[in-house]
Amino acid sequence: MAAKQNGNKGKHMALKRRTAILAALAAAATVLILLWKPTVINNGLQQAGLYAAIAIPMGLVLGIVHIVNLAHGEFMMVAAYATYFACKALGMDPLFAVLPAAAVTALLGWVVFRLTIQRALKAPELNQLILTFGIAIALTQVVNILFTSQTYKIPLEYVSASIDIGENTFPVWSYVFVATAILYAVGLRLFLTRTTAGKAAVAVGQNPRGAAIVGIDVNRSYGLVFALALALVGAMGALFLTKSAIFPQVGSPYTMKSFCLVAMAGIGNIPGILGASVLLGLSEQLLRAFRETRAWADIVFFVLIIAVILGRSVSWRRKK
Amino acid sequence: MILEIENLEAGYGRLRILQGVRLEVGAESVGLFGPNGAGKTTLINTILGINRPWKGSVRFDGREIGGLPTHEIARAGIALVPQERELFPGMSVADNLKLGAAYIPHAASIADRQLEMVLELFPILKERYAQLAGTMSGGQQRMVAIGRALMANPRLLILDEPSLGLQPSIVAEVFDRLAELKKSVSILVTEQNVRESLRAIDRGYVLENGAVAIEDSAEGLRTNPHVVKSYLGI
Repeated sequence: MAAKQNGNKGKHMALKRRTAILAALAAAATVLILLWKPTVINNGLQQAGLYAAIAIPMGLVLGIVHIVNLAHGEFMMVAAYATYFACKALGMDPLFAVLPAAAVTALLGWVVFRLTIQRALKAPELNQLILTFGIAIALTQVVNILFTSQTYKIPLEYVSASIDIGENTFPVWSYVFVATAILYAVGLRLFLTRTTAGKAAVAVGQNPRGAAIVGIDVNRSYGLVFALALALVGAMGALFLTKSAIFPQVGSPYTMKSFCLVAMAGIGNIPGILGASVLLGLSEQLLRAFRETRAWADIVFFVLIIAVILGRSVSWRRKK
Repeated sequence: MILEIENLEAGYGRLRILQGVRLEVGAESVGLFGPNGAGKTTLINTILGINRPWKGSVRFDGREIGGLPTHEIARAGIALVPQERELFPGMSVADNLKLGAAYIPHAASIADRQLEMVLELFPILKERYAQLAGTMSGGQQRMVAIGRALMANPRLLILDEPSLGLQPSIVAEVFDRLAELKKSVSILVTEQNVRESLRAIDRGYVLENGAVAIEDSAEGLRTNPHVVKSYLGI
């Protein structure tokens, strides 16, 4: 018993040491990059904010409704299109469309949930994946038919805001995504731990049958969480439009990257998504900083997710 | 009568488990006994809408509740302590208890009073108030489950095997508590532990092969030769 405890303690210490070494290496690498290519950190963090703000709502749905929504980025795309045409018609700045876009996507999400996903909640996972994948294709193609594959963009001056430090120019607009991601993470935490509706949603996520027994309408709770997640991603659609051109397939890489980040963080771990996003954002920007590696930036998330899954399965096997 | 069940049939897939059950609960404490597989849990799950009734009626307070979704039945005033406890393992004891009342219309407004009563009934829950329910022992989790059900201020409390997996001293305690509770709430309880539960009930049913085989007072059951031979093991 004592020997086993010592063994555990030793393992624990080794793990701590390894974590400390990794943290020190990461810090050293960050300082080196900062000195060498200062823009990488700036761009990487902003990119991380964009990824995290889109991935957090997906993590919410996966953590509570236990559905991988493969149409996640496509819903953002739809919100961006709706924002674009509303802004064109009204001569409005997309920033003013953030809340209306959230409301419209939430409503769309509620309807899609009631009509389709709710019916597949007890179905095998593969069926659920096929369903949301089908929704993704349908959304993309409907937009494609209505608005063609032409790109749309709203030119905005404030997007090119930047700060000059020494010889370097640092664009700063995309920190709005970082702020949004932090707002989402903190807001969701407060919602899920402090409000009755939030606690009920967590309860439903942990034990749907137990939740029904205490009078919680489980399907309604799932629907609310799904709609809330889509409201958050809809708001991101309007923000996304300030910065980027949109086209029917613009959302799909974000579906894949959100899924990668949620998987890296682990189910239900919303703060972990922030950390994973910083890792992904910095890695991509680092590769983008050199001409020789630039083309590899888009696949770095594959490398990360494979590494994480391998690492998980190795540590799982060791525990066993 | 608070609960009236007539000619109830239910089952899983094509397998019929309940073969026309008739059962009533008034302002009293009623036991439901029978061997494994007799249909006790199926009957309870059907009352709560976890299983759909195939045939027959389940009336609560004069209103037909057969076929309603579980959360509506819970809101009508039936609280269940399931065999598997069905707690929220990643949430604190406090949150588990509070969620017991939050969505029940006639309980939410008096939740503070109910909470005080539950913590008085199970002092251990006061000590473990902030602990995650999933990290507690089976017996303590059972108390959380009973406490959570009481938070709903139910008119009918249904307990499915409340003594399962508990050490005997705690079983005795649970039945003492039930004997106290039956003054204010109707109780329907299934038990393997017939001897202990006969202390806490007024009347009982013996379910065999999905139908009521015996229905009698606690005293009558205690002296019934079939019950003595099959369930009391004397």
